[in-house]
Amino acid sequence: MNVIQIAFKEMLLSFRNRRTLFFMLAFPLVLMLVLGTALANAFSTTAAMDTVRVLVQDQSSGAAQQGFAGFRAEMEKSGFAFTDFKPGMDGAAEVEKNNYDDYAVVTNSGIKLYGSDRNAVASNMTQGMLSAYADRYNAAAAIGAADPAKAATAFQPAPSGGYVKELSLDLDRMPGSMDYYAVALTVMIALWGAMSAANLVNSEIRQGTAARLVAAPVRKGEIFAGKVLGNLAVNMLCVLVVITFSKVVYHAYWGDNLPLVLLVLLSVVVLSTSLGLALSYLLKSSASGGLISLAVQLASFFGGAYFPLGVVEKNSLLGIAASLSPIRWANMALNNMIYLGDSTQVIQTIGLNAGLAALLLAASAYMMSKREGL
Amino acid sequence: MNVLEIQGLTKKFGNFVAVDNMTLNVKEGEIFGFLGSNGAGKSTTINMISSLLQPSAGEIRILGKDSRKHSRHAKTNLGIVPQDLAIYDDMTAYENVAFFAGLYGLRGKLLKERTEEALEFVGLGDRAKSRPSTFSGGMKRRLNIACAIAHKPSLIIMDEPTVGIDPQSRNYILESVKKLNESGCTVIYTSHYMEEVEEICSRVAIVDHGKIIADGTKEQLKAIITDVKDLSIELKPGSAYSLQSIGKIPGVRAVNEKEGRLSIQSDAAVDNLNRILKSLMDGGAEVKALQEEEPNLETVFLTLTGRSLRDQ
Ligand SMILES: Nc1ncnc2c1ncn2[C@@H]1O[C@H](COP(=O)(O)OP(=O)(O)O)[C@@H](O)[C@H]1O
Ligand SMILES: [Mg+2]
Repeated sequence: MNVIQIAFKEMLLSFRNRRTLFFMLAFPLVLMLVLGTALANAFSTTAAMDTVRVLVQDQSSGAAQQGFAGFRAEMEKSGFAFTDFKPGMDGAAEVEKNNYDDYAVVTNSGIKLYGSDRNAVASNMTQGMLSAYADRYNAAAAIGAADPAKAATAFQPAPSGGYVKELSLDLDRMPGSMDYYAVALTVMIALWGAMSAANLVNSEIRQGTAARLVAAPVRKGEIFAGKVLGNLAVNMLCVLVVITFSKVVYHAYWGDNLPLVLLVLLSVVVLSTSLGLALSYLLKSSASGGLISLAVQLASFFGGAYFPLGVVEKNSLLGIAASLSPIRWANMALNNMIYLGDSTQVIQTIGLNAGLAALLLAASAYMMSKREGL
Repeated sequence: MNVLEIQGLTKKFGNFVAVDNMTLNVKEGEIFGFLGSNGAGKSTTINMISSLLQPSAGEIRILGKDSRKHSRHAKTNLGIVPQDLAIYDDMTAYENVAFFAGLYGLRGKLLKERTEEALEFVGLGDRAKSRPSTFSGGMKRRLNIACAIAHKPSLIIMDEPTVGIDPQSRNYILESVKKLNESGCTVIYTSHYMEEVEEICSRVAIVDHGKIIADGTKEQLKAIITDVKDLSIELKPGSAYSLQSIGKIPGVRAVNEKEGRLSIQSDAAVDNLNRILKSLMDGGAEVKALQEEEPNLETVFLTLTGRSLRDQ
């Protein structure tokens, strides 16, 4: 009961705070409109593209080769154009020059992919398809290496239509700019919950109300739970409003599995609240607020909230920065699910977010119990 | 019956001892004054009672039960008015009081009644729907009190509830404290204003450097200083005098000047009135009136610590 009461108070205060309403609702919706409209052209060329061009260097043999050939044949039916690598070509440079959207090196031990970051969305699609295939291919290669007898079956498509069918791409449904930004900016505000979370305890100390909370016959755990719950609810409500608005007013496409989309966003919201809370305990001072805003802004930027980053080299500085952004994880996972029907990454993202959140919450709860006062 | 018992209470911040082995009892029905200059350790003591701070040593018992072993019992029976305002600026006066009262288990109709009653009690009944950001300093202080009384605690602890407010609000608050007490509530009233404590408290503890240096009824405390006489001398305007030379007269302990009036503390045993007057008149001053003052808590404090409550 106390938990609910405290959660309700957090919600009341958040919704009375103009900053919350501005940053969590007005800002993403306006930005969505501006970016979605301004960059519509950049996206439509991609969406209109009827083929995704892939340069393939196939060095595999035996069962692996047959497996890939099967995949390739299926993909060619869904609008992918595969070109064989000719000796003397520089695959990466070809992608760089925009002669191809992707470059894949297939060997018996695995598939290596190079994507361009020019046609970010197209590259995302190919990357998604190919990398999903590559994961299975690499697993099969590993089985083959361990037990050559099983290699042949390992590379065969699964009986239920096979991996290729599962991944079938509907090229009519490539994301437009509004679709892209609806997802990206919603994920962004989900992460921005970290900023209000960082303030959950500090604001009580600043207003002196921590003294009253601690003096009241309420356990610290209840205060903690109430605050976390309140912040989650506010953040999730903002996410719901933004999704609904983007769907109804901007006609953004959210795919046909909305419950799973919401689950991914909920996992980001849970992660961001835990992150903000843990950092505010670690850093203690009021400087934690500024530091968290900075981190969250960087994560938004590198996560592709403002412009799509597409496929970036894993080892480049940008690649490392991008791979650290929870926004990018969720963004990629959501796009893969909405446009490719591939929910493997979604499940991974939910698991990762939930796991990290549990760790961070446990750490904050521990720090809270050790601290005098709140 | 003791509402509060403190035994050997100590709080250290690093090497600094803010509260030093304090022992103290507060009886049911009292308004107990906790008097001391800034930094004496009053708030630190109160924060340990309200469990905001962990004592470094010692025991606190509320209505006979250890406050840490029976923290729920202790907390339910306490009302705290913190020295720094503790209210939410973005919630109305009503919402503030109701939120905190709710944490004490009040619900529904009872919650509504008690909240309205508390607001009425501090004179904010007609401002229930306003936010504190529209309040004057005195009104915020009164709301700060309302938040601590809606759950009808047996013991209410007020930490300098009148700091920095207008005299009108201050009188209102002092009257409220008396009314609360008449309704059966025991009150601990912390202040560094001697006049307030003198006006409303039945018993007083004087705190200095984390220690209680004297406690008892006002009369008992004043009895400590029967050996001191307080003289008040009013001079004709423009009179010249030297505080220094008066201070050198044997038996004079302290001398202060305020608006043409000299207050002099001197040993009761020494008959030095003649010498004081002679010194003044030799200096060319004209005496308009002379009075022997009743001893007050200020004198007690001065005698015990050698410092005025005000000079910090
Ligand atoms: N958290 C703290 N850390 C270090 N010193 C403190 C802390 N809180 C109070 N003090 C010190 O303890 C002493 C007593 O402070 P306090 O109890 O606030 O005095 P009072 O309320 O009587 O004015 C002061 O010297 C103050 O500086
Ligand atoms: Mg104080």
